[in-house]
Amino acid sequence: MMPVEFSVIAPSVMAAWALGSLLGILTKRYGVLRFPAYGMMIAGTLLLGWFIAAYWIALERPPLRTLGETRLWYAALIPVVGFLVEYRWKIAWLKYYCMALASFFLAINLAHPEVFDKALMPALQSVWFIPHVVVYLVGYVLLAASSAAAWHNIVSGFRSRPELIGYSISHYLALLGFVLLTFGLVFGALWAKEAWGHYWTWDPKETWAFISWMAYLGYMHLSAIRTDKNRLQWYLAVSFLVLLVCWFGVNYLPSAQNSVHSYQPG
Amino acid sequence: MREDVKGWFGGERNFRLASVVTVLAVLAGFVIQYAVGGEGVPLLFWPLNALFIMVLAALLFLLGIAFRQNAFASWLGGIPLGLSLIFALVFLSLIGGFIPQGVASGNAVLDRSGVNRIFSSWPFLFVVLLFLCNLGLSVVWKTIPFRLSNLQFMLFHGGFWIALACGLAGASDLQRLIIPVYEGRASSQGFIPQDNRMVQLPFSVYLDDFSIEEYTPRIVLYDPENDRVLPGRSEGLAEVGKGFRSEWPGFSVTVLDYLPHALPGPDGTPRQADDKQGISYARVRIAAGEVHSDHWLNTGSPSIKPGVVQIERYFLVMFPGTPRVFRSGVVLKGSGGGTTAAELEVNKPVSFEGWKLYQMGYDEKAGRWSELSLIEAVRDPWLPAVYFGFFMIMAGNALFFWKGMKQGELL
Ligand code: HEM
Repeated sequence: MMPVEFSVIAPSVMAAWALGSLLGILTKRYGVLRFPAYGMMIAGTLLLGWFIAAYWIALERPPLRTLGETRLWYAALIPVVGFLVEYRWKIAWLKYYCMALASFFLAINLAHPEVFDKALMPALQSVWFIPHVVVYLVGYVLLAASSAAAWHNIVSGFRSRPELIGYSISHYLALLGFVLLTFGLVFGALWAKEAWGHYWTWDPKETWAFISWMAYLGYMHLSAIRTDKNRLQWYLAVSFLVLLVCWFGVNYLPSAQNSVHSYQPG
Repeated sequence: MREDVKGWFGGERNFRLASVVTVLAVLAGFVIQYAVGGEGVPLLFWPLNALFIMVLAALLFLLGIAFRQNAFASWLGGIPLGLSLIFALVFLSLIGGFIPQGVASGNAVLDRSGVNRIFSSWPFLFVVLLFLCNLGLSVVWKTIPFRLSNLQFMLFHGGFWIALACGLAGASDLQRLIIPVYEGRASSQGFIPQDNRMVQLPFSVYLDDFSIEEYTPRIVLYDPENDRVLPGRSEGLAEVGKGFRSEWPGFSVTVLDYLPHALPGPDGTPRQADDKQGISYARVRIAAGEVHSDHWLNTGSPSIKPGVVQIERYFLVMFPGTPRVFRSGVVLKGSGGGTTAAELEVNKPVSFEGWKLYQMGYDEKAGRWSELSLIEAVRDPWLPAVYFGFFMIMAGNALFFWKGMKQGELL
C-alpha cells in the first residue's frame, strides 16, 4: 500500500549511500572523487526525503504512527546529523556510521513490509501526538549518533589514538539527546493524562522509557564528576542498546501483554 | 579542582560506601517484603502524606543548612550516592520491565518478594526515600546561597523532587472509577477494578447518545481453517471505494459500486440510508482469467447477515473499519442538583465538580451497535503539585539545552 514501491526506493537509497561512502573513502587518495562522493551520499538522503514526502501526501497524515513509519524518519535523519557534524566540526567519519545505521533501519522495513496501515486510533488523535513523537524521534536520532561516535572512539582507542574532539562529539550528542528525551517523557506524561486519565501508570512502554532516561541521567552525572572518558564511551555505546529495547523490543516482552502503547496491528 | 575519578567507582571511598548502602537498602526491602507476605507498602492518606512530605523537606533543609560541612551529610547529598541510587532504580525498573506487573506469576516465592508489583514494593520505597534525601540535599546546597547561575540545577532537580515526592505520596489519594452506562439511562455508581467493588458517586451521568464513526472497511480473504486474514495486493494507497482493485493469487476483485451507508430495499438490493442505521455495501467483480462474476458484500449488523462470497475454502469478506471516533453525549447531574450537558471523546475529557470524566470504552463485541459506554472518572487532588514539578523540569531542561553542561568542579 505505498505510492511508489518501497522495495525499489530503499535499495536505491542504500546503494547510493554505499557507493558514496566508498568514493568518500577513496577521496583520501584521489581528491577528484570528492564531488561525486558527496553527490551520491546526498542523493541517497534526498531520495529518501522525497519518498517520505510522497508517502505523507498519499497517507493524508504525517507518517509517524507505526514503528515502520518512524524508522523511515530515523533512516532519513541520522545521516543528516552525520553531515551536520562534519560541516560544523570537520569530523568526517561519523557520517559513515550514521549511514550504516540508517541502512539497517531501512533493511528492517524491507523485511517487514506489513508495517504500513492507514487508520489512526482515537487515543492517538491528539495535539500532543506530533510534539511527543517528534521530540522522541530527534532524541533517538541524536543518541544513535552519539552511540556511533562512542563506538568509533572505542575502536580508535584500541588503535591508541583517541581524539579529544571525538569525545566532545559523543558527549554533546548525548547531552542534546538527553534533553529531548526529557521533553519526550514529560510530554508523554501530560498526554497520557488527557488520553488515559493518569500521567504515569508504569505501563511496560513507560517503564522502559524511564529506564532509558535513567541510563542517560546516569551518564550526565558520571560525566559531571569527570569519570574516565574511555569508560564513558563504553557507557554511551551500551546505553543505546537499552533505548533499542524501549523502542522495538517492548512489544516482544512478556510484560507487554496488555500495554496500552503497542499500536502494531496484529 | 577535583581529581579525575579512576575507573567506575574505584579509588573513591564515597562510591564504595554508596554502593554498599544502596545494595543493603534493596536487600532489606526484599526481606521485609517477603516477611510481610508480599503485601504492598501501607499507604498514607491525606493529610498524613502531605505532613510526611513537609517533615521530610524540613529535615532535609535543616540538615543541608546546619550540617553543610558534615561528612555524612555531604555523602548523603553527593553524586556517588545519587549514581548508586540511579542504578538501583534502573535495576528495580528492569524487574518491572520484564516481569508482568499486577498479575500473579504462579510462583509463590516470586509473588511474595513483590516482583510482580515492584513499584509499590518495599525495596522501591527504600530506594526512592534515599533518592529524595540525596536529591533534596543537593537542591538545598545549590539554592542557598542563591546564585542565578544555579537556576538550571534548581529547576531540574527541584522539579524532579516535587514531581516524584508528590506523585508517589499522592498516589493514595488518587481515585479512578469506571462508570458503565447504557443509552437512555443514568448511573451514579462507579466500579473500582482493583478492589472489585462498586461505590456511590456524588454525581450522576445520563447517557443520551453513544456513537462511533469508523474508518473505511477493508476487503480481505478469510481463511476459516486457520482463522487467518489474507490481505490482497492493491496498487497505490486507494481505500475501498468505486474502482478499488485488489489481487490474490489466481483472481482479482474490483469494486464496481460502493455505498458507505445503505440498507436492503424491498427487492433485496441495497438503497442509500442514513449514517446511523446504514451499513457499508460493495458490488464487487471477482475475476479469474476470462471468467468473472459479480456479488454484493456488506459489513453486517445485528439484524443483517454479513454479505460474503465463498471462494474455494476461503471467504471474501468486507470487515468494518476500525473506530475513528467514539463519543458519548451525556447529561451530568451534580450533588447540588444542577445539570450540564457534555460530549465525551477520547483525548477530550470533561471536568466536573473536581472530577475529570474520560470516554474510556464501549461494548467491543457489539462495536458500532454498542449501547453501553464506559466512562472513567478520575479525581487527583495532587495533580497541580506534580504538574508544577513537571513545568520546573521543562524549564530547567530548556536552560540545559541552551547552556549545556559545565563539567567537573562539583561533588
Ligand atoms: C539522585 C539525586 C541527584 C543528585 C545528588 C544530583 C546531583 C547533581 C550534581 C551535584 C550535579 C552537578 C552539577 C554541575 O556540574 O553543575 C548534577 C548535574 C545534573 N543533574 Fe543531577 N542529581 C540528582 C538527580 C538528578 C535527576 C533526577 C535529574 C533529572 C531530572 C538530574 C539531572 C541532572 C543534570 C541534567 C545535570 C547536569 C546539569 C548541570 O551541570 O547543571 N539529576 N546533579
